[in-house]
Amino acid sequence: MSINRKISPPRLARRFLQLYCKSEFLEEIEGDVFELFERRVEESPAKAKLLFHWDVLRFFRLSNIKQIKKSNSNFIQMTRNNFKIAARVLWKQKTNTVLNVGSIAIGMACFILISLYVKQEVSFDKFHENGDRIYRTWSEEDYGEGQRFFYTSSPLPLAPTLEENIPEVEAITLVDYGNYLVGEGENRLNERIAMVSNNFFDVFSFELIKGNQANALGRNDIVLTESYALKYFGSDEPVGKTLTVQLGSEKVNYNVSAIIPDMPKNTGFQMNMIVSNEDMERFYSARAQQAWFNIGPETFVLLKENTAQDAVESKFPAMINSVLGDDIEEGQYVLGLQPLEDIHLNPDFPASAYPVGNPNYVYVLATIGLLVLIMACINYTTLSTGQSIRRAKEVGIRKVVGAQKGGLIWQYLSESILITACATLVGIGLAYALLPTFNHLAGTQIEIPVDAQSIAVYGLIVLFVGIATGIYPAFVLSNLKLIAIIRGGSSGGRGVGVLRKALIVFQLLLTIFLISGSLVMKQQLNFLQNSDVGYEKEAMVYLNMYPKDGSEGIFRQIDSGFENAEIIKAKLSQYPEVTDLGATMHIFGTPGWTTMGFRDLNDQFRQFHLVLTDPYFISGFGIEMVAGRDFDPNLEIDKRESILINESAAEYFFGTEDPVGKKLPGEEFGKHTIIGVTKDFNFQSLHTQVEPLVISQNSEPITQGISDLTFDSYPIPKVFFKYKGESLLGVQALLENVWAETFPNEELVFDFVDERLKLMYEDEARVNKIAGIATIISVLIASFGLLGLTILVVNTKVKEIGIRKVLGASPMTIMNILVRQFGIQLLLAFVISIPITWYIMNQWLSDFAYRIDVGIVVFLISGLLSFLLMLMVIAYHAIRASRINPVKALRVE
Amino acid sequence: MKGTYLGEFEELVLLTVGALYPEAYGVAIMDDIKSETGRSVNISAIHSAMRRLEDKGFVKSFMGGATNERGGRRKRYFELTSYGKKALDDAQSMRAKLYNRIPDISFGQS
Repeated sequence: MSINRKISPPRLARRFLQLYCKSEFLEEIEGDVFELFERRVEESPAKAKLLFHWDVLRFFRLSNIKQIKKSNSNFIQMTRNNFKIAARVLWKQKTNTVLNVGSIAIGMACFILISLYVKQEVSFDKFHENGDRIYRTWSEEDYGEGQRFFYTSSPLPLAPTLEENIPEVEAITLVDYGNYLVGEGENRLNERIAMVSNNFFDVFSFELIKGNQANALGRNDIVLTESYALKYFGSDEPVGKTLTVQLGSEKVNYNVSAIIPDMPKNTGFQMNMIVSNEDMERFYSARAQQAWFNIGPETFVLLKENTAQDAVESKFPAMINSVLGDDIEEGQYVLGLQPLEDIHLNPDFPASAYPVGNPNYVYVLATIGLLVLIMACINYTTLSTGQSIRRAKEVGIRKVVGAQKGGLIWQYLSESILITACATLVGIGLAYALLPTFNHLAGTQIEIPVDAQSIAVYGLIVLFVGIATGIYPAFVLSNLKLIAIIRGGSSGGRGVGVLRKALIVFQLLLTIFLISGSLVMKQQLNFLQNSDVGYEKEAMVYLNMYPKDGSEGIFRQIDSGFENAEIIKAKLSQYPEVTDLGATMHIFGTPGWTTMGFRDLNDQFRQFHLVLTDPYFISGFGIEMVAGRDFDPNLEIDKRESILINESAAEYFFGTEDPVGKKLPGEEFGKHTIIGVTKDFNFQSLHTQVEPLVISQNSEPITQGISDLTFDSYPIPKVFFKYKGESLLGVQALLENVWAETFPNEELVFDFVDERLKLMYEDEARVNKIAGIATIISVLIASFGLLGLTILVVNTKVKEIGIRKVLGASPMTIMNILVRQFGIQLLLAFVISIPITWYIMNQWLSDFAYRIDVGIVVFLISGLLSFLLMLMVIAYHAIRASRINPVKALRVE
Repeated sequence: MKGTYLGEFEELVLLTVGALYPEAYGVAIMDDIKSETGRSVNISAIHSAMRRLEDKGFVKSFMGGATNERGGRRKRYFELTSYGKKALDDAQSMRAKLYNRIPDISFGQS
């Protein structure tokens, strides 16, 4: 015996071969590979083993593989047969199949698009590895008497205090944003830059794809997204390049340290340029860094694992007391945590930089998507139940040869599953095709994901919808009485008809409800956008000013902005198409005008809004005065100490007394006089009532008397004017000219006031558009269903119509019969829809301070619309049925 | 069943089976093809080709006796059937017919 003989082929491969190979081929195959192995092993055992594996693998072919199970399962055989029969039936009844597949496909496409939008909204920042341990801090100051401040931004000293006092804190990262000019020389752009703590990328799971991944946020480092790297550096390698950023009066050269992919759509951190806030003094004044009552960044806290939120929160009062005990009484300053994943859809907390959506709209849309899908399912259910008369004989024969009820149910279910599967495929295709339109119309940016998970979800949906739609017809069919079928005559009990009619009523009800609902929404939106807000908004243009370099303090910056505004105004006034020029600190369409608070003479806390303007604000916007006079541009005293208030403020401060000539009821205010009262104009959104407003040219007398102050919108002045020119492009050209010769280094930002106002109702407009799309789709689906039913009814009534015609009925009478079939159901649906729509739409409208009434007109329109629609759908088949030669109909049989 | 068309590789295998008679089995066929044409073929390809040929009725097969080699496993021997022989003859004659129709002109120099 040679030593070589001891080397045997690899066991694993042999096992594998024995496992898969058909027994009749096993011996010869094994023999041949063994022989080859024995021959090769003489040269090199390693190579022989490798080749043995290879050979075994090559034998792994379909013709050699055993059948997995030779069991002749009846269930599997029957299922295969069922699908075959289903395909034949569907092929045979083409109209029906097209209507069914069509409506389910449209419903499915709508459902998929809406559910993707909903999914994006509810999945905000749920992808972070430590997401369940990240919280944002909030603070609530409550000094009684309505002097309450609630915010989710936080003071700067909070982070170090938390780190010192709370051992459960693993990391803290601050997130803040600011607008800075980026670039050099002529081409400086105003960019929103995120200032974050160095550990930002450790706390949040954002991927770094290029550059310094371990420590991307050094003192002078800037991180860019891919699209911004492209914007600034084109195809050049961005990492290592330099970007100059103007921070206040200082120019800082930042070094591009790393690149991140563009932020996903479902994160609240929409950043394109990220720098470290390590050098605090670059971004925040020395005072702000110490002040507890000055808020800036959002503070995100990563707690250690297995730490309860309550446990940490319970330590806050003691901590606050130790740092703020001298300034406040206990309970006046409450600090808390809000889970990261909760922020996006929780409007109970005030919004900071992190965007907050309205959860109600998400629920509304989810419901609409589901309703549309349900309507499509109802189509299938009613149509195939109606078809059951035709299928009755088939069921009879099957029962005679011994089909079990369970088997029959399964057969009809496979039919509905097959049809749903087809429809889903078509629906996904449709969703793909409609995605750009949907995104454009609804102002969303969703994508259709293609991965194993979503395919599995689609599979589940197919199964679920297939069973849901098919279960009722399947039961109806399999319950048919054998004798009744074979004997002929009526099949299916009375109950079937009632349930079918109820489903049709329900479907029509949904359609009418969606039509009236979106009509009401549309009306309300039109009302919001066209209602008289109390000032001129058509063709009003505004452009942002910038403070001069080196102006310190917010009011100095505002003043220097007004000085710049004067320069621009002087230049613009030379153009004939520019009229009603003026300047103001806040412009309409930006929420959150400066809010101020003070204690009045009776020690009552009062709040009002302030807007600083030039003397032309009232006249420029055409605001009406109810008492006193407007600012006079020629009076020096008006520039210093005259103020205007609105009607709400007059009532708030003075009740029924005449305020003209009086002062604001506070002790500390500087020298000032109220010279006039304006009619209330709606400077905020129409969601809220008009609040007290003070208009002044000089900030000093007012700021002296207040105890607190909130800027929620950018307070740097804007220049506004009415544009009388023809084309919109004209404005742009004009402004670019003037701007380039005045402020060549700053970016020109301008907009139309009415465009800004539209943006304020963006959420509503989006929901309205999506609801509108869903309405059109639901109308389509309902028409499909009605069409199918009409064909069915016409077919079953062929003889009745024939006899009636023979007896002298006119085509109108015949048409009448058919219309009456569905007319009653439509009427019922209409009547039921009125209270439901009225209730639900009033709920929605209660969100608005200014709203329309749900009038009778809406219902009349939607009722008429649906009736006309029904006539249109029915008409063709009804006319055809009524014109058919009765001989043809009666000759059958 | 598939058609009785004889593919190029099948023809080659069939010829080898005829030539190796009575010792035609998997590995021997593979070796012979390698030595005669220089084509290295995987053993699994031979097996599938043989199975196709048998399905078409060109060859028949039987199991040989047990030996000491191959771990004691038997060989499956293949033989040409008369139908297979006829298929080879047909292929041969068709080829000869076409070949003879090539006009007698000299190639390589124009």
